Amino acid sequence: MSQATTNVYAGIIAQFQRLTLFIERILNSTFSQKYNPFYYHGALPNFFLWVLFISGLLLFAYYNPTLEGAYPSLEYMTKQIPSGALFRALHRYAADGMMIFVLLHFFRVWFTDRYREYRILPWITGVILITVLYLAGLTGYMLIWDSESVALTYMTVNFLNSIPGIGSSLASLLIGGDIVTDYTLTRYLFLHLGIPASMLFLLWWHYLRITRPVTNAPLVLNLMLFGGLLVACGLWPVGIGEAPNLATPSASIEVDWLYMLPHGMLANGASPFLAWVVLLGIPVAMLLLPYLQKKQFRGQFAQVVNENCTGCSLCYHDCPYEAIEMMDRDDDTRFKRIAVVDPGRCANCGLCVGACAFKAIEIPRMNTERVFKEIQVALGSAQS
Amino acid sequence: MNQRRKLKVVALVCERSVDFKDKLDNAHYMSECPDVNVIQLPCSGQIQPAMIEAALKGGADGIITTGCRIGDCHYREGNKFLRARILGERQPKLRASVDRKRLQAYWLSALEYHRFKEMAGEFVEFLSGYQPETPQKPEKKAPSKAAE
Ligand code: HEM
Ligand code: SF4
Ligand code: SF4
Repeated sequence: MSQATTNVYAGIIAQFQRLTLFIERILNSTFSQKYNPFYYHGALPNFFLWVLFISGLLLFAYYNPTLEGAYPSLEYMTKQIPSGALFRALHRYAADGMMIFVLLHFFRVWFTDRYREYRILPWITGVILITVLYLAGLTGYMLIWDSESVALTYMTVNFLNSIPGIGSSLASLLIGGDIVTDYTLTRYLFLHLGIPASMLFLLWWHYLRITRPVTNAPLVLNLMLFGGLLVACGLWPVGIGEAPNLATPSASIEVDWLYMLPHGMLANGASPFLAWVVLLGIPVAMLLLPYLQKKQFRGQFAQVVNENCTGCSLCYHDCPYEAIEMMDRDDDTRFKRIAVVDPGRCANCGLCVGACAFKAIEIPRMNTERVFKEIQVALGSAQS
Repeated sequence: MNQRRKLKVVALVCERSVDFKDKLDNAHYMSECPDVNVIQLPCSGQIQPAMIEAALKGGADGIITTGCRIGDCHYREGNKFLRARILGERQPKLRASVDRKRLQAYWLSALEYHRFKEMAGEFVEFLSGYQPETPQKPEKKAPSKAAE
């Protein structure tokens, strides 16, 4: 990466950062700082995740994963069960809400430069999470099994078949054989339950290096989002299309662009090749983004002054990226433990410095000595 | 504003919060509020209560600490920790004996220099008429000559 490219990219990010701060300033004046939704960018997707799990449980109870049974079970759910249609709508719009808020989270961490170096683990797991979320949503649409859903299945099979070599095996892996059978729907159901379940594991991984991740937004914000979901359910009720006919599926599909980007492209005449380039290109580009910028504090990390450290572990509690470990010590001091910094995880943020009352930990880029000196200079009691 | 003595207000500011680009002179005094000297740190979470105490002991009339908006700390929790320390809710705590009237904490984004200037100006105004109830330190030095 040439120096010039790196600088141009950094300049663009800086502008986007200002834009984010500008939006946040407006939100601060409407929501107040305490309830600013942007400050809960990671927590809000979690709210939708819970709505999805709960509403999904109810749909699961009535779903019949067979060729003959799927459509009638959905029809029954939608038309006969009290609030069955509501739960379907909740499930659908919570899925859209989740993707929207995950995208918001993604853009915010990207634009505010919270996505590289010591944050690489949440970034990479985040890319996996958004991919997995996309697959979860897509398989959800395929489960409906009305005539549009059948069209979606055929489209997906053709899309997979367009990959030279392994395409047809992937397609039969998806539908459980060479043609659509009862196993197809069992497989869809397995995927649609298994993929979201894997998200729980991925989220644990996502949070692994984050001390005290903020996973819950304040109740008011959650209630507002829930209210928004109910309004969407009221305005655009979710119905069910025509009964499936495997020989003549629906001629067109209603595209949910959040979960059907390649399908939408194909439906609008794009070539499968282009659709694949876009589908695979997005996550690959996301993974490469952190490497477009120069490292900020190459080789620097917090330094423990061994003679001063009392082993009080205040820094260990405050470190926001789990970079400090308390280790046993058996040198000549009367203290039993000592703080040890993991260079790869350290953000050079100085929170440990603020936590230490013994002048026992320092970050190289702003020594506490220097802060005290600058204070003295400012007060006229020392020369700069 | 014109006749009062020049005050010594030290502002400990996170480098990611209020943007002081082109707003400070060579000795870090604010051009538009010369009583305030700005010291920038990587994060407001790096500010030790001992730094605030040292500044007041060393003769500062007032201290300002500034971090990003609560909720937007670049390092996630630094500003919350500083706030808790000032409020005496987190170790190491700011001493209870510190005169809280001479300390102000602002939480502002990089776009809010004007808000900082306003609040700092009001603070300076307040301090210029403020008599600590128990003046602990006798030495009050003449205005520093650092502000050209
Ligand atoms: C299923 C979707 C996701 C959920 C529920 C989620 C949730 C969260 C939460 C709760 C945090 C902690 C925030 C904090 O306390 O500071 C976080 C941090 C983070 N997330 Fe996600 N996330 C998701 C997807 C993503 C995606 C798609 C990306 C980007 C590719 C991403 C990138 C990050 C990064 C870089 C951080 C660290 C931010 C920091 O250290 O300040 N996440 N996420
Ligand atoms: S806060 Fe300071 S004294 Fe306590 S464990 Fe950390 S480095 Fe050691
Ligand atoms: S500077 Fe200190 S608090 Fe910050 S990440 Fe490094 S060890 Fe943790």
